[in-house]
Amino acid sequence: MKNSGNDSLGAEDRQPKESTISNLDSRFNQTLRNVQGLLKGRSIPGKVLLTRTADVLDSSSVSDKPSNYSRSLSDNDTGTSNHIAKSEEEDLQIINNNSIVNKSKSSTSNTEDLTKEVQKPIMGARATDSARVMKFTTLLSGTTIILDKLRELAWSGIPPYMRPNIWRLLLGYAPPNSDRKEGVLRRKRLEYLDSVAQFYDVPDTERSDDEINMLRQIAVDCPRTVPDVAFFQQAQVQKSLERILYTWAIRHPASGYVQGINDLATPFLVVFLSEYLEGGVEKWSISDLSPDKITNIEADCYWCLSKLLDGMQDHYTFAQPGIQRLVFKLKELVRRIDEPVSRHMEEQGLEFLQFAFRWFNCLLIREIPFHLVTRLWDTYLAEGDSLPDFLVYIFASFLLTWSEELQKLDFQELVMFLQHVPTQNWTHQELEMVLSRAFMWHSMFNNSPRHLVS
Amino acid sequence: MAAPPARARADYDYLIKLLLIGDSGVGKSCLLLRFSDGSFTTSFITTIGIDFKIRTIELDGKRIKLQIWDTAGQERFRTITTAYYRGAMGILLVYDVTDESSFNNIRNWIRNIEQHASDNVNKILVGNKADMDESKRAVPTSKGQALADEYGIKFFETSAKTNLNVEEVFFSIGRDIKQRLSDTDSKSEPSTIKINQDQGANAGQAAQKSSCCGS
Repeated sequence: MKNSGNDSLGAEDRQPKESTISNLDSRFNQTLRNVQGLLKGRSIPGKVLLTRTADVLDSSSVSDKPSNYSRSLSDNDTGTSNHIAKSEEEDLQIINNNSIVNKSKSSTSNTEDLTKEVQKPIMGARATDSARVMKFTTLLSGTTIILDKLRELAWSGIPPYMRPNIWRLLLGYAPPNSDRKEGVLRRKRLEYLDSVAQFYDVPDTERSDDEINMLRQIAVDCPRTVPDVAFFQQAQVQKSLERILYTWAIRHPASGYVQGINDLATPFLVVFLSEYLEGGVEKWSISDLSPDKITNIEADCYWCLSKLLDGMQDHYTFAQPGIQRLVFKLKELVRRIDEPVSRHMEEQGLEFLQFAFRWFNCLLIREIPFHLVTRLWDTYLAEGDSLPDFLVYIFASFLLTWSEELQKLDFQELVMFLQHVPTQNWTHQELEMVLSRAFMWHSMFNNSPRHLVS
Repeated sequence: MAAPPARARADYDYLIKLLLIGDSGVGKSCLLLRFSDGSFTTSFITTIGIDFKIRTIELDGKRIKLQIWDTAGQERFRTITTAYYRGAMGILLVYDVTDESSFNNIRNWIRNIEQHASDNVNKILVGNKADMDESKRAVPTSKGQALADEYGIKFFETSAKTNLNVEEVFFSIGRDIKQRLSDTDSKSEPSTIKINQDQGANAGQAAQKSSCCGS
């Protein structure tokens, strides 16, 4: 771990301004710092601290590393373009940190106490802190948005109110050139409407037997989609979902509709509806919206779902070879990272397909509380084309959250545990931990084939 | 492959592995939830790939651990789900009495069993959602019974919602399998048949072994 960290620092020195490398390195170093101490207590995510906590400590009480602190700031995210914004950000960040520290009303002398107290108020704060919001604003204000920078920033979480726009950009649905945006979206939304008219709004007599079966399957599944969130039980929401899924299925005959794709449409629905509906999902009513708006939201969901699935077509074709391949990779990666768990699972006769198939098929939607899903998807969408490979690292990290517990379970307990992992009380903190560790492992293993040999 | 787990637990006399199959939406997961947890919910979620539950029951003074695999009904998951046919000692074929096509598809499901399961696997036919109003019923009880008779298997109409016949189905197939196991048991090599604690480990292979000991 140390070695790869040093290696990448060396690379940075050689080519300080080469954007992709230095971005990657700074992100890696940041993550490495976050995770270094955490691995020791990895099975107890509650004890784990996030970046922001570390920053708070750096700036307020631990004054021996000020250079490191400001260095990480200037290296991260901002690049070289905007000096004014950068220094403002530093100020803002410090103010922000202080206010958090003040809020936690602690005597800053005892770092451990401080840590405990600070932890709670900043959970999930990364995406919304003002410095990051400012970076997003700056990035989005240009006429042509630099997608690589947006990806890097979005990877660590997008402020909720910016999410609809940024997801559309990350998926390549909205063009990075803001002058073209309105026109492109208008055209795409009309195209969706045409497809619905052509494929969905037709009598059954004009459908083939396969199409009738597919529609029936979708109609059976829509009421069974995220049933624990009441919003999805509204008839109109289910109709929207049905139109999106059926239209997608007809236009993608190689896979057609596969159960689980219904789950994948839900984050898009929630995010695009959030542009129009106030408050939390549980209080929304879709009947507050005009048909025009609903149509636009549906169209955006349709196109974004299509873009997402374009990157993993063979996950849903016959025999689902894409998922089979990733499950195999996951097994290999877990063996390299955590040999004891891997050996225990094998001794118990547990197969990765028995739990990880659903993880890949539904992209973990069913395994974490729904309010965390959109944050997870920020990272998914920021990964773009690399998502399928990166999923392997996220899922390894997710699985090994329970490394110690798993080793105490027998076959049957393992299956039960892994089919219903105890994430009900998870907050952003546990999820950030999973993602940071995935990022670190990805940097360690993916770029260094030597690590792969055990 | 591996040594038996360190903490051996003899908390049952037989381990019986069951499999639920049938079209999507007929109520397989609801039946299983009713049997394993005693609860019912209308807000159910689609099964992806396979799911798993257990319940230990007592039959004739023997403790029987039922290990029940629930499968996704959709065709696309067939590659995943058929892998579990081999290890199953009993298979519950489920249809929905209000959905005729789910009943007609039972023949296809049986063909699947013939292709992928052990020859002597026990089967039982289950018509679920029997609580539904008669006006919604699409498959009369007599048709279900006739199909079961044709294949020489037992038949129950159930309701996961009202808990009608749910226990009966699982106890019935459990009893038949236990009978079959102990019959074979007395005929030859008892030690290979008695399922003990470490069988939970390599589920698939264990059942296969026990089913082919006649040869």
